[in-house]
Amino acid sequence: MKRLTALVLILVAATGFVFAGGDQEGGGVPRLEILQNKPEIDAQLKAYAAAWGQKNGVQVVVKTVGGSVDVDVDQMLTIGYAAGEMPDIFVFPGVADYEKWSEVILDVSDQPWVEETSVEFTYDGKVYGFPVAVEGWGLAYNADILEAAGVDPASLVNYAGYKAAFEKIDSMKAELGLESVVSMAASISMSWVTAHHNFNSLLSAGLPYGDLSVVNDLLAGNVDMARLSQYADWVELLFTYADQAVLLTGDYDAQVGAFAQGKAAFLHQGNWADGNIEAAGAEFPRAFAPHGALATETDGIFASAPAYYAINADSDVQELAKKFLNDLVFTDAGHRYMVEEAGMIPAFASVELSPASPLSQSVQEWVASGKVYSWNQYYFSDSFRDDTLGPIYNQFASGTLSKAQFIQAMKQAFESR
Amino acid sequence: MRKQKFDMTSWLLLLPALFAFVMVIIIPFIMGILYSFTDWSSRPQPDGMQVVGLLNYLETFKDPSFLYSFIVTTVYTALNMLIINVVAFILALLVTSNIKFKHAYRVGFFLPNLIGGLILGYIWQFIFNIVVPNLPLITELIPAIQNPANYILAERNSALMAIVIAGSWQYAGYIMMIYVAAIISVPGELFEAAKIDGAGPWMQLRTIIIPMTAQAFTVTLFLTLVQSFKQYDVNVSLTGGGPATTFMEKSILGTELLAMNIYNTAFKANQLAQSQARAVIFFLVLAVISTFQVRANKKQEIEL
Amino acid sequence: MADQHTQFQKTGVQAKKLRQTRETRAKTGLIGLEIITALLFLVTLFPIFLVLINSGKTAFSVTASPLTLPEDWLQIFRNMKTIWVDPNIQYGSSFYSSLLITVFSVGAIILISAQAAWVLVRSKTRIAAFLFMMFVAAMTIPFQIVMLPLVQWFRILGDFIGFRLLRTYPGMILSYMGFGMSLSIFLYHGFIKGIPYELEEAAIIDGASRVGTFYQIVFPLLKPITATVMILNGIWIWNDYLLPLLILGKGNRIQTIPLAVANFAGAYVKQWDLILTAILMAMIPVIIVFLIAQKQIIKGMVAGSIK
Repeated sequence: MKRLTALVLILVAATGFVFAGGDQEGGGVPRLEILQNKPEIDAQLKAYAAAWGQKNGVQVVVKTVGGSVDVDVDQMLTIGYAAGEMPDIFVFPGVADYEKWSEVILDVSDQPWVEETSVEFTYDGKVYGFPVAVEGWGLAYNADILEAAGVDPASLVNYAGYKAAFEKIDSMKAELGLESVVSMAASISMSWVTAHHNFNSLLSAGLPYGDLSVVNDLLAGNVDMARLSQYADWVELLFTYADQAVLLTGDYDAQVGAFAQGKAAFLHQGNWADGNIEAAGAEFPRAFAPHGALATETDGIFASAPAYYAINADSDVQELAKKFLNDLVFTDAGHRYMVEEAGMIPAFASVELSPASPLSQSVQEWVASGKVYSWNQYYFSDSFRDDTLGPIYNQFASGTLSKAQFIQAMKQAFESR
Repeated sequence: MRKQKFDMTSWLLLLPALFAFVMVIIIPFIMGILYSFTDWSSRPQPDGMQVVGLLNYLETFKDPSFLYSFIVTTVYTALNMLIINVVAFILALLVTSNIKFKHAYRVGFFLPNLIGGLILGYIWQFIFNIVVPNLPLITELIPAIQNPANYILAERNSALMAIVIAGSWQYAGYIMMIYVAAIISVPGELFEAAKIDGAGPWMQLRTIIIPMTAQAFTVTLFLTLVQSFKQYDVNVSLTGGGPATTFMEKSILGTELLAMNIYNTAFKANQLAQSQARAVIFFLVLAVISTFQVRANKKQEIEL
Repeated sequence: MADQHTQFQKTGVQAKKLRQTRETRAKTGLIGLEIITALLFLVTLFPIFLVLINSGKTAFSVTASPLTLPEDWLQIFRNMKTIWVDPNIQYGSSFYSSLLITVFSVGAIILISAQAAWVLVRSKTRIAAFLFMMFVAAMTIPFQIVMLPLVQWFRILGDFIGFRLLRTYPGMILSYMGFGMSLSIFLYHGFIKGIPYELEEAAIIDGASRVGTFYQIVFPLLKPITATVMILNGIWIWNDYLLPLLILGKGNRIQTIPLAVANFAGAYVKQWDLILTAILMAMIPVIIVFLIAQKQIIKGMVAGSIK
């Protein structure tokens, strides 16, 4: 017991030391804080930021959130706002989040980098967001398997093309060593695949880039039943030919893993999966097939900036923040970081490097040929997508909703939004 | 027992506890309650914060997902309390019997407590999705389990049971300790007397152990009630609220417990003030139920 | 309990025979219990076993073959080294922060709860009953209702009084004191009720002060329940994620292990091999403390929880 008492006394005595310690700021050097949401490029961005900071006499602090056991940027900003500590540069994914934080997002229309890109974030004619990269998603295919099955990816430009291809591959599963035709996920925690990505086919497939006609109709509660029912056919096709275990309970690892191990011919994901596919030891050639989701021809994939850097309008170091972003676009070190270190597809014409991984290259080719559809899902709130649409897809996948009920539920969701 | 005066020294000794309590719990709690009557958002608000009266509460009761998660939380809490306590009590009987290695077993049953809730959910997700459908022992007994539509996490009721299993696995060892404590403290003479009267183990359990440990039940039921009602970590990482189900003609999350509903209201639906209102309702309900539980148990203690 | 059975008359030969059957039955019964307990023990430890074997694997072999034993157990140490040297995790300094926060918070919780509980038990006044009720009732407050107001309130204190609590050790420790106190006072309260008052009375008659009496006579008697309070709070604080996220923030100077480890997971991918190794590394100190204090903890619960 004496020992315990002694320990307690030591603790009390040492308390003074603890209270003296704290989080002091580096003396005199300006501090630039960046909040970003890609854990996979955390190390690369920190290295680049440190080098940039050294050159410019700035202490750059990079904070990353968004891992699978983590909070997201919006929560971090909410906590930061309560704590009175907002970052100088932070990312936001799109319109709905812009509207939440518009009070603290600086108008950057006059910045030199704006001239170099076509995917900046604009609102009411002004520029507010620096595109972090270009990303694309759709149906990635394993070229070896498609060739063995005698399916030409160029034929996959509409629903009929896909239906024929899926049926053919499905009948040859045994000889191709497949467990399913397409690797698709629709569990609640994978709602971002269904209610974010897949949902976007309804919003923009087959339309000119940036066309908001479907979005505006749906936002107003006017549902184009013909388009919705074509879309329902497409979702049904994907769900029918997916591995049911992956579809109903699989996580991202399971979904990408099935494709990477050659057990599925198609993968409903984006170019960010490249790194994970490689990590699983896959060496087969792969690319994105045209996203033929509609009965009419839809020869393109969905490509856009996944998120934008905003500059905090209340920040004391706005000029430094502007310089940081411009240097990404106009210096060689910036280019090398974006493309070679972080493996991103640059959103700027001034960058001449191109990424090494096959799916990223495929996205770049689609972008170069101009066959791209925009990402319009962010016109709907997180909660509408996750909590209203996510469960509808999940029930359709598990068979608790029929196709007719699925269409009805979707229609009702838009009408009562 | 003689009384002590509640004097200056008493206040002095209470002071540090009261200080921490007021600073960390009371003041934020009152702020939180006040916010539930406003449109506060912890985000920049151009027009400032407005008082909206009971609007947040009215909206809350109109939301099917809140009503549903109330029901599901009640079911979960009942099941979880039952299973944790039954398992814990049986474990306690086992590790207080004459078996070998009982001290090692006590440690072993307590170990799951050492793992944080989020991680624990992921471990169990892995078990339910990957291990269970592939374990020969289970697949031979229940072949249907290999069909993905019957996966434990693919169906609402079994997914809720999955949270119960993971939650019980984590908490039963701790509750077991309390029962162990209670059983050990039963005077040995009582068992001797019972033996002479020829009472079997079942009789001993009914006439000695249960009545003598009645006080422990007050504590364990209270702790498991609060723990179950507040469940969040395991819910998020194990099921994420899925799979979906139909309620009041809407597709909604089928295993979303109250704590998760409040959290999602705050951050996903962007309704911080309304989430405060939900938390206030949550608090009132839990406070009332636990008061009743403790009162009922105390009464039971006296009767036994 | 398991070794007593029959209830017949015991006379002569019959009695001897009976005793024999009773003993054999007791023996088979005991063996049955041992088997059941051992099975339950294995079931309980299975998930922890999964953590252990998968810590010893490389990235993709975790999801590809979760049930096999690692091919090379040394991989555990390689994974540990990866975590140890990762510049973003800074395991060394995170470990130090976690340790400091846990030790000081638990120490403070023990002191303030023990003395508060003692006062509340010994003065049987209405105010004492009310305060005890209030401390215990706080256990039913959902964390969500206080989390953002807490951050705002701490910020206000920092801005207006200059008492910096956000991003600092004192703020973190104070928060844990507030949130950890309820259960601890509850446990101490139950234990102290079982300690005879005569001991203290004697000390006071001898002229000891109240505070002196508590620290010299009563506090040493609380050792078993103190061990319980220590381990329960220790486990919670060591593994906690959300409260440090709010008070310390991410990527600041002070990082706890759970905050640092959250960085491991990609936006979509869980790096299972490293996450599991990190869990293992985080669990080891808690297990060691638990094993050392195990007897005390059980003793503490014996006397504490049922009064």
